[in-house]
Amino acid sequence: MTLQVVNNATCTFCGCVCDDIQLHHDEVRIHEARKACVLGTAWFLNHTAEKKYPVALVDGKEATLDEAIEAAAHHLHEADMPLVYGMSNTTCEAQKECAALADQLGGLLDSHTSL
Amino acid sequence: MGGKVTCTLGEVKQRADFIVYWGGNPAECHPRHFTKYTIMQKSRFLPRGRKDRTMVLVDIRETKSAKAADTFLQVKPGKDFELITILRAMIKDQRVTDAQIEDTGMTREVLDKLVDQMKNCKFGCMFFGMGLSMTRGKHMNSAALLTLAAELNAFTKFVAMPMRGHGNVTGADVIMRWQTGYPFGITFNRGYPRYNPGEFSTVDVLVRGDCDAAFIIGADPGATMPQPAIDHLKRIPTICLDPHITHTSKLARVHITTAPQGIAAPGTAYRMDELPLPLKPALKSPYPTDEEVVRRINEELQKKPFWMPEGAPLTMTAHG
Ligand code: SF4
Repeated sequence: MTLQVVNNATCTFCGCVCDDIQLHHDEVRIHEARKACVLGTAWFLNHTAEKKYPVALVDGKEATLDEAIEAAAHHLHEADMPLVYGMSNTTCEAQKECAALADQLGGLLDSHTSL
Repeated sequence: MGGKVTCTLGEVKQRADFIVYWGGNPAECHPRHFTKYTIMQKSRFLPRGRKDRTMVLVDIRETKSAKAADTFLQVKPGKDFELITILRAMIKDQRVTDAQIEDTGMTREVLDKLVDQMKNCKFGCMFFGMGLSMTRGKHMNSAALLTLAAELNAFTKFVAMPMRGHGNVTGADVIMRWQTGYPFGITFNRGYPRYNPGEFSTVDVLVRGDCDAAFIIGADPGATMPQPAIDHLKRIPTICLDPHITHTSKLARVHITTAPQGIAAPGTAYRMDELPLPLKPALKSPYPTDEEVVRRINEELQKKPFWMPEGAPLTMTAHG
């Protein structure tokens, strides 16, 4: 089987954010990450497009995405002082949405940097 | 860290002939840093690559990175601030006693040479890692090192840069600075952003039990935080977004599986020198992206009444 190639892909595993990685994939998993270091290779090869986990869990039970989003909004809205935390392993676009989330909740906003 | 004297990694690659790594282990934590940006690169200004560059490693123990260094300086644990302060004095020819130098684990001879190298290089760069910024002194250490870099500019071109850790933490700093004016440790509880690390930083908030719900994204505090903080996450409704079922997902009331950034989710990530880079996802995930899920939660929340009653004052008065 021939693999598809993505040139100049970006690795986000460490702060180097190498943007010269060549990925060889079959749409389900990445088989090779050329130029990546050991850490980067593990990062690319350990994530697949398989459906390994349920879409969402609410109180430990499988739920649909809509149900989970509703439950999340409910808990956050009920709270007096909700916390929005993390944002290390996510995109800037999602980080911007997180800032908006904390803003409209009147909550706390913090990242790994504060540790 | 506004006002820091820094540059991009591109400039380091082209020009830096003197490189200091302080409290970091790039060989194991940022494996391509040497080859892509610093000592191994040949450039127009440093055509002989490694031969044209000098590298000094300062750390409390001899890590794998020491093999790559020309000089390894073993500082006594917790004495970084003192050592930086001594260097700040020595570059200005101020008096420092031998006892003060010995207290940091150094000798005068070694420091004289280091000061000489620092002053006489063409372009110096100090990279500092968590061994400096997360040990005794913390941000005071980083501030001292940045000051040293600034002061060295009286003699030559000198910059400093933090070696930021995993993922897009740099992006989180930049986005929060852009959106709120502050990099982390923020609250909106008066309707506008306020900043106070120690009061609004997550570990403190969780250990004190201040928050009554938590939204966790792109992090796994359930595996990394101190136990009292984890216990509080278990007590309150926690919501977790992650490509995997993590420790945090297991203690959370709501877990949503999302597409991994850069692999199946498009977007932008910041390099440690605060350069934004586009992601090129190779795979199509069966899961939604973080961005999409958070946006949908925001939309859902907009349907609900705003937390602050209409007409309520935005600031608290002295009477509360
Ligand atoms: S390839 Fe290695 S050095 Fe480059 S970003 Fe990924 S983990 Fe870091």
